[in-house]
Amino acid sequence: MKTARASRRRYPRQAASGTTRHRTRANDRLAWTGLDLLNGEIVPSLTVLLTTKGCYWARRDGCTMCGYIADANPDAQSADIQKQLFEVLAQYGTAFKIVKLFTSGSFLDQEELPIDARDAILSALADTPKVIVESRPEFVTSEICGDVVRSNRHVEIAIGLETSNDDIRDSCINKGFTFRDFVRASKVAHSDGLTVKAYLLLKPPFLTEVEALEDAIQSTHDAAPYADTISLNLCNVQKGTLVEALWKKRLYRPPWLWTAVEVLKRVKPIATIICDPVGAGTARGPHNCGKCDRQVILEIKEFSLSQDSASFTATCADQLLWKYVLEFEKFSYGAPLVP
Amino acid sequence: MPRHFEVTRRDGAARLGTLRWRGEELTTPSSFDSKEELEFLNALTIHKAELDVAVITSQEDLRAERIDADVVILGGAPRFGDDPRGLTKALVRARELTNPDSALYVPALATPNNVSLLVYAGVDLVDPIMAEVKARDGYLLSAEGERQFDATSRSYCMCDACRGVNVADLPPEQRVTVLSAHNRHALKAELCIARENIERGTLRELVEGRCRTAPMLTALLRLLDEEHSYFERRSPIVRTATLLACSQESLNRPEILRFGERVIERLNKRGGILLLLPCSARKPYSRSRSHRTILKRLDKLRQFLHEAIVTSPIGIVPRGLEIMYPASNYDIPVTGKWTCDESEWVIGRLTKYLEANAFDTVVAHVSGPYRKVCDEAAAALGVDLIHTVKDENTLSSDSLQRLCAVVQELIVEYSPKQRDLRFDYIQDLADYQFGPNASTAIFAESPKVRGLFPTYYASDGRTRIATIVGKYCTLALTIEGARRYLRAVENRYCVRIDDFVPKGTVFAIGVLNADPEIRPFDEVIVLNERVIAVGRALMSGWEMQASKRGAAVAVRHVEAR
Ligand code: SF4
Ligand SMILES: [Zn+2]
Ligand SMILES: [Zn+2]
Repeated sequence: MKTARASRRRYPRQAASGTTRHRTRANDRLAWTGLDLLNGEIVPSLTVLLTTKGCYWARRDGCTMCGYIADANPDAQSADIQKQLFEVLAQYGTAFKIVKLFTSGSFLDQEELPIDARDAILSALADTPKVIVESRPEFVTSEICGDVVRSNRHVEIAIGLETSNDDIRDSCINKGFTFRDFVRASKVAHSDGLTVKAYLLLKPPFLTEVEALEDAIQSTHDAAPYADTISLNLCNVQKGTLVEALWKKRLYRPPWLWTAVEVLKRVKPIATIICDPVGAGTARGPHNCGKCDRQVILEIKEFSLSQDSASFTATCADQLLWKYVLEFEKFSYGAPLVP
Repeated sequence: MPRHFEVTRRDGAARLGTLRWRGEELTTPSSFDSKEELEFLNALTIHKAELDVAVITSQEDLRAERIDADVVILGGAPRFGDDPRGLTKALVRARELTNPDSALYVPALATPNNVSLLVYAGVDLVDPIMAEVKARDGYLLSAEGERQFDATSRSYCMCDACRGVNVADLPPEQRVTVLSAHNRHALKAELCIARENIERGTLRELVEGRCRTAPMLTALLRLLDEEHSYFERRSPIVRTATLLACSQESLNRPEILRFGERVIERLNKRGGILLLLPCSARKPYSRSRSHRTILKRLDKLRQFLHEAIVTSPIGIVPRGLEIMYPASNYDIPVTGKWTCDESEWVIGRLTKYLEANAFDTVVAHVSGPYRKVCDEAAAALGVDLIHTVKDENTLSSDSLQRLCAVVQELIVEYSPKQRDLRFDYIQDLADYQFGPNASTAIFAESPKVRGLFPTYYASDGRTRIATIVGKYCTLALTIEGARRYLRAVENRYCVRIDDFVPKGTVFAIGVLNADPEIRPFDEVIVLNERVIAVGRALMSGWEMQASKRGAAVAVRHVEAR
């Protein structure tokens, strides 16, 4: 019996059940507008969710915190996917400075998103100053990047690096690629004139709060040279994931919002870092004591636009508890001290 | 590998022990104190050093065969904060798969409120982490539970941290300082109380009180009670403290269930006439005013009867076992009414007792709730009871007269054998302690019994065979008694030791194997190729075999084989 950190290998993979498909998205909007940062300016943005057959990695093995496969549609055809985008554009218009296209998989994987759909979609947005798509690094090849640039020269590729620590990425997240893969992808994209965004995951399972804090800071340092923007994603508990199984057994707690604030403050000087606290303030999302959550969420959003640490002014009595947790959680040998 | 933890005293699954580490001795159950200690232990989980520390990190580890270390940590314990079922399973499993010489450390879970139950379940080490977390959450903890502080709260506590301070008025940081000092103090105080109760053998009484303060703890005790064999395997056969049956949970105490089982499964089958009597507040029953009155009236007729006492919560106590714990010393609230649970339990015991024996007829000299219980058991079996009590008064001259008249008639009708009642005590204790048919193996048809109640002794001609001894009233075999017993059964209640002549105490390290049925304070036979000895077990048989430290048997007599 080793006493090192427990890892996903000790837990069976939770299969995402077929019957839950479309469950989360059915009640959800497929597109929404917001404000984002573009070259230091706050601009209107449009986010579009495209239903594809989903991430190949999720179908094969999957990441411990990711439940997106439940939203996929195995029968999604090229024409359907294009139709989804054009319907949204017809409704919202094309005046947005930023358009984000989320397939909950890899936009650049031609198995998932057929080439004709990809090119049609990117061409349709050729005049948008910034189009953000997501992809695993293995699809960021010079061939594909060349194709992308031919359709659209303003594409930013967002890569779910999660952490710069290969051990954590493997044993806690099961991501299936390495930091070197990310670096390579980043260089390829840059050489074709595309930009890169790195997603970092705050608090993968099996880490204590303080390990998660330190990992996010270290990862920002490591990834900054290869990423134009860093997005700090606060882990939330998605249906059908290993994280959910652990959470139900009280072996996982999403990160404290204070931890996110601490990371943002500490890495500000070295990177452009944004954070959209999805599901924050709930038991399944990142949260504090419940009294200060709303305020802190607002400040995190404000910081993401202003990149100014002065955004963070909130204080609350639970900071004493949070500091104690940072210091003592490891002595519980595997469970969060507070829910 | 030298052990760093030694158990010095047991009370069921709870233990007093000594942990040697960092150049000092820590008396357990105990709480780690400083962050430095926690860091030190944490480092030991990664780099093996003076102390062997193992962590149970997952369900899989709980399925392991055996874990052997000085300290075993039940990892992730805070997850059981509101899951009594999960906690029960994890604690029992963790304890069963670790060596008895291992200290079980349950991290970040203990509060003053729950720690006595954790200790009762077999936990040796805790820490103040949860007490500190609760302090930062604004809770004042005590053995009675937790109370959240708001602007109007006042602490009525007199501890050093609270005295003269109005916690509610303090700014957050200072409030946390006071609450944390108070909570740590409360945890330590409760551990002191738990240790003291283990020493007296009364931890069960403490936890039955503590569990009342929170549904989670009541659930925990009830679920722990479902793990009967885990606790029975660790419960002493006798104790000097009085068993206080003050709650519904008392009915499920391991020693009460064990007594009930042994009365049915171990005692010799009896026939003839059974007389059922109500229990008395004074123990043993035959020393009480009510029993003395009845027995005096029956006088010589008693030699033709078998007597059994109907009682809550023990159930049925054959007269010969009235001097055996827990029948010999228990106390219950007397209101003249029984709860449904109590009645049901006693009816069940009586039904089983009547089924297991072959009485020709049953006389019930009982009234009130006792009568209802007897009637229901009889009805369940389709047996007719002969009631002898008139006007609800067992001691009235009418009732006693009728009792004698009925018994006389029955003796004529069934002509049962006349017996020496003193031998009943010896015979029943022999079977109760050493198992079915032990008395037949050890004693001749009717040995000579002498001595004053209750310390009777039995001899065969000039050789003494067995004596009821000591404050516990257990039946001790002489070497001759032991030889006779061994001829009939080979290994029961035997402890086989290395090739040495035991003097005074046999230590666990010298035990080769031992009957797993042996319980603390059982009378046992100690053997090797050269000698045969008798003595009193100081730990359970399975524990003697698994332990490397501690006294296993206190030897009384030794002879060459
Ligand atoms: S996190 Fe990304 S790579 Fe991992 S399963 Fe989800 S979509 Fe696929
Ligand atoms: Zn707060
Ligand atoms: Zn106090």
